[in-house]
Amino acid sequence: MELNSESKVFGFWVYLMTDLVIFAVLFATFFVLRFNTFGGPSAKELFEMPFALLETLVLLTSSFTCALAMLGIHQKRKKFALLWFLVTIALGITFLYLEFSEFFHFVQVGASWERSAFLSSFFALVGTHGLHVCAGVLWMIVSLFHIVLRPLNLANLSRIFRMALFWHFLDVIWIFIFTTVYGMGHLL
Amino acid sequence: MKIEKKQLGFRIFGYLSSLVLTLGAYAMIVYPSFFHLSTEMAIVVILIFALMQAAGQFLFFLNIWKEGGPPWNLGVFFSTLSIILIIIAFSLWIMHTLDYNMMF
Repeated sequence: MELNSESKVFGFWVYLMTDLVIFAVLFATFFVLRFNTFGGPSAKELFEMPFALLETLVLLTSSFTCALAMLGIHQKRKKFALLWFLVTIALGITFLYLEFSEFFHFVQVGASWERSAFLSSFFALVGTHGLHVCAGVLWMIVSLFHIVLRPLNLANLSRIFRMALFWHFLDVIWIFIFTTVYGMGHLL
Repeated sequence: MKIEKKQLGFRIFGYLSSLVLTLGAYAMIVYPSFFHLSTEMAIVVILIFALMQAAGQFLFFLNIWKEGGPPWNLGVFFSTLSIILIIIAFSLWIMHTLDYNMMF
């Protein structure tokens, strides 16, 4: 049993690493195409840093509340864990709402993915991250049922641990999006 | 059983440090002249901040290292890191050289 859940975590870790390679390819595409605006808006004109900061703070806080929930899980305090997982889900949905309204705003001002290579690569990269966050939120909702309905045995612990690992992974990806896409977009 | 103080302190410290690094990076992005930084230096600094934050996420929020997880985790991580460096650095290098040669 012990070995089983450990190898599952290892398998999931390998998946995360391959996912990291997907993001690396999307980042590389973005860096190559980021000045090819084809007469459309550039990164500096389009991105609003206060809004990007707000998105970052929401996701950072959700990573922290997820870590708090995992503390509760490790000590078998179900109510404590459920409370913080609910906060994490709420923050995750807030983040998705912010990201979606940002995309909607970009499309409305004529900066959709069809406008230029820069915008295509931007939507591909940030949109892929958004899809991952969607999956993460769904997974966390399913985990709530696992926590409520099942005992916190080794199999369940390992399942919840993998979910938390995924959530922190998404936060790390976003830190690099904030720094290299928004930050460097504003500076250059 | 109370939540372990030490573990909780770890996580709060991780959260505070990530907030400081994010706000610091934000200040450098929006007011680079205030810090007397050139654009290139500001980029280097915010990249270092991002790396520190990524490391902090894994150190403070996960006890994957403490529990002595599978020893292969780190091995896979570093080989992936090398693949990522190759993908990003070489794509940029190749495309930049192509661009440069097509100009003339």
